[in-house]
Amino acid sequence: MEFVGIAAGKVVSTSAVFLILTMVGLAVARRISTCVLLFSMQSVIITAQVAATAYLENSREAWVVAGLVFAFKVLGIPYAFFWLVERLKSPRDVKASTTPAQSVFVVVVMVFISYAAVRSYAFGIRVPEDALAAAVALILTGAFLMVSRKKALMQMLGLLVLENGIFLAALTTTFGMPLVIEMGVLFDVVVGLLLMGIFTFRIRDTFDHLDVSRLRRLRG
Amino acid sequence: MTMALGAAQVLILILGAPLARGIIARIKAWFQRRQGASIWRPYAELGKLFQKEDLAPPTSSLIFILAPRVMFAAALAVAAFVPVLQPFALFGSVGDFVLMVYLLALGRFFLALGALDGGGAFGGMGASRDALISTLAEAPLLLALAAVSISARSASITGIVGWTLRQNFFEISAVHILAFAALGMVALAESGRMPVDNPTTHLELTMIHEAMTLEYSGPSLALLEWAGAVKLNIMLALLISLFGPWGMAGSLAPAALGIALGAYLLKMLVLMALLAVIESSMAKLRMYRVPDFLGVAAALSVLAVFFTMIAKR
Amino acid sequence: MRFMVLIWPLFIPLLGAALLLLCRDRRVADAVALAVCGVEVLAVGNAVWQVHRWGSIEGRYLRADGLTSFFLVNIAFIAALSLVYATAYLRHVGEGRFSSPRWFYGLVYLFLFTMVGVCLSANLGLLWIMMEATTLASAFLISFYNTEGAVEAGWKYIVVCTVGIAFALFGTIVFYLAAVKAGLGHASALNWTALLAVASQKQFDPNLVRLAFVFILVGYGTKVGFVPMHSWLPDAHAEAPTPVSAMLSAILLNCAMYALIRYEILSSRAIGTEFAHTLLLFFGTFSIVVAGLLILVQRNLKRMLAYSSVEHMGIIAIGVGLGGPLGLLGALLHTFNHSTAKALLFFGAGNVRHNFGTLRMDRVRGMARSNPRTAGVLIVGGLAIVGLPPFSLFVSEFAILSEAFTQSRYLIGGVFLMVLSLVLGGFFYHLLRMICGTPQETQPKPQFARAEFTVMVVAGVCLLYFGVHIPAAFSVLLRDAMTVLQ
Repeated sequence: MEFVGIAAGKVVSTSAVFLILTMVGLAVARRISTCVLLFSMQSVIITAQVAATAYLENSREAWVVAGLVFAFKVLGIPYAFFWLVERLKSPRDVKASTTPAQSVFVVVVMVFISYAAVRSYAFGIRVPEDALAAAVALILTGAFLMVSRKKALMQMLGLLVLENGIFLAALTTTFGMPLVIEMGVLFDVVVGLLLMGIFTFRIRDTFDHLDVSRLRRLRG
Repeated sequence: MTMALGAAQVLILILGAPLARGIIARIKAWFQRRQGASIWRPYAELGKLFQKEDLAPPTSSLIFILAPRVMFAAALAVAAFVPVLQPFALFGSVGDFVLMVYLLALGRFFLALGALDGGGAFGGMGASRDALISTLAEAPLLLALAAVSISARSASITGIVGWTLRQNFFEISAVHILAFAALGMVALAESGRMPVDNPTTHLELTMIHEAMTLEYSGPSLALLEWAGAVKLNIMLALLISLFGPWGMAGSLAPAALGIALGAYLLKMLVLMALLAVIESSMAKLRMYRVPDFLGVAAALSVLAVFFTMIAKR
Repeated sequence: MRFMVLIWPLFIPLLGAALLLLCRDRRVADAVALAVCGVEVLAVGNAVWQVHRWGSIEGRYLRADGLTSFFLVNIAFIAALSLVYATAYLRHVGEGRFSSPRWFYGLVYLFLFTMVGVCLSANLGLLWIMMEATTLASAFLISFYNTEGAVEAGWKYIVVCTVGIAFALFGTIVFYLAAVKAGLGHASALNWTALLAVASQKQFDPNLVRLAFVFILVGYGTKVGFVPMHSWLPDAHAEAPTPVSAMLSAILLNCAMYALIRYEILSSRAIGTEFAHTLLLFFGTFSIVVAGLLILVQRNLKRMLAYSSVEHMGIIAIGVGLGGPLGLLGALLHTFNHSTAKALLFFGAGNVRHNFGTLRMDRVRGMARSNPRTAGVLIVGGLAIVGLPPFSLFVSEFAILSEAFTQSRYLIGGVFLMVLSLVLGGFFYHLLRMICGTPQETQPKPQFARAEFTVMVVAGVCLLYFGVHIPAAFSVLLRDAMTVLQ
């Protein structure tokens, strides 16, 4: 079983690179379905990290959290997104306000910033620097996606990436919060997404499009 | 004895290039549920072309005749840089990866000149598109190779391969993952495969590399086709040796060399299958999106260099 | 067993919501809503009295002390007023698929459940969960009318608030990290009382506490409505139905401020008051300046009231940021006074909308002649909200101002006074334009339900009375809350 232990350790230390690859993918993707697939892959990587942590720390709570994350973020939420995209019958284009080249540039700069930010804090905390920096980069990428993509569904996805980043940050610094709190947070996220999904239907019915940059009636 | 091994490696790369093309085409045909041509067909094609007459447009100059020869010579020279069976290459101590990249660029440059010299409209179009792609692909290529060489503390390809051989397979490093992704994308661009360029197209307006070879015939065309195949082979061999060289022979014993050859063929097969899958599943990018594609490769290679700075080793 | 006292105020709204979703008849729904409201007020009163008589109640997930009871009284009072108003107001709302009274009441009680949950949380993680739940519960209330503006306001609300609260989650995690590093076990590392004990012994890493507080301030500050993060506030408060607007302005903002105050207490004990107070003063001053300026250029009555809420939350932040007995007292009192005055004003605005069909202030004229009672309500509310005596807001603002001058913070005091005068000018410009003059010929007959009017009178009297003399019971409540703060 030592092999599994080594593998678990490897997972924790190398997942940062794969997360960065998914972030670059999110920056250049042009269809909503591609972005959802990338988010699903991100969640798989994060589930692997939770499972590795659970194995190394011998914590039953963490296994439950890993299972929940897998069920919701890898299977449930992407499936719901695909269903939404089908039902909404709106154009599947991502409607980015920046070109793919500019988006990739921004993502790379954000990776630099997150490593620099974590550098100054990591001395005091003694955490795996890579994983925490990847978490901060995920948060920044999620925020960037929300700001630069003008489709309502993409704003929801950006929010999900942001939550992924925060979850990963919690995982790397404190090996997760108490189980009840984690479940409550996950529940909140799922219900929030549910409500936002219902809202997208209302937006489409009221405005006949899903471009949030055109929701500009209320100003001042 | 090592010289003979070096020469053998070069011969493997050069003579095996048409076979590589044939195998890829066969796998693609299998994906498309076709019978597909035999894997030895590119050899037959080269043989046919060598027996035909070499025509040149009346308005062309010496450059037109020279270009295919220079291109082939450059491909030959670069093939001598790449280790195949052992962490040793014929030109290994002659120059580092920068020389290799610019030898490739030399060949490309002359090809573009020859295409312009041919005087056809499509030659000029192909040359300008190719110039754009090679300009944009140069940065990620150099940066990715630089990242790998910084990790290995050596500038020559053989030195890098030797260093990688000594590492533990399970010490997956962030630098290598990012560099592999970047180099993979550049390899697609440099060897003119999908999604950057379609090697089997017959519509002139969609051609990039083929447009430059439209005016050539006979042995010149044979040399150009062969050089293109050699470039693809070199790129694949480079990817294998830089990122997955385990299995290479440590000594000159026949058993070790046999194992090395088998490992090399196996890895090549895997990479070729991967390439065939990528080619079959992606559509060709429109010309104005190729810079975005190469921009992603550039970003990945910049990140690879960045990671060399923060690596703990 | 004292714990059960806290369970009642929390679960009565939840049960009420479930019950109300079953009531199909409008009148039955009204009656049930009022009944549940009455029971809830009793439960809150019971809990408050228990806390006062026998000291604070501690538990693993729920707790209550003097500060909690103060905010609970606030919630109960405004909720009662809004619900009574709503029973009359909803007569004007049409029946839609999700727009029937039972959905309205059900969502309102769900909303109340989450807000009471925020106030009663002992666990910081539970506090976060409840705060996010307030966003989710009120999203559909805001877009209740399903017009273009309402849907846009609802979407903006849900997105901006969820992002803000995600940052607050990050802050909570950093706090948890600091607690674990200081030696607390996993179970108690998010418990407020345990954290307070550790903070008093200065065992927290100062860098981590600072980082955590910044994120908490930005995150929960989005819900409070501090200025760079306030973009959802004017839209949401303007487009929501009137009782919901009143509840948002008067209760939700206060609950968010409660969360901020809890973290401020922790931070001040752990690393001293400098850091937290400087940040609060910065956000507070920035908020009142921007909100004060924007009030002058508003055209929609409810939007102007929303910006006034931003301004008053800034005033409360300044009060907490100044510290000292007068500053804290003023801030606490101001939360209550502002909610009463804002509720009154929103009810008046609801009436304007009914009688004139629009909330555009430039299309309403001559209310003194055509709708004297609404005009009176707006005048009383306007005088109160700008801080004139003898209304109660004058007392709380005066306390905060005198604290500012006692601490020699002349810049803040001066800016505060300037903004107050700006707001006075702006409010009176807009209100007098609506009230004076001759009414237009084609005015519908003014309608005024008795329930609505009673509620407004109660609020007005409260404002007036509290301005002159604070009743004994209330001052006792205040004193209990102050002991927690200091």
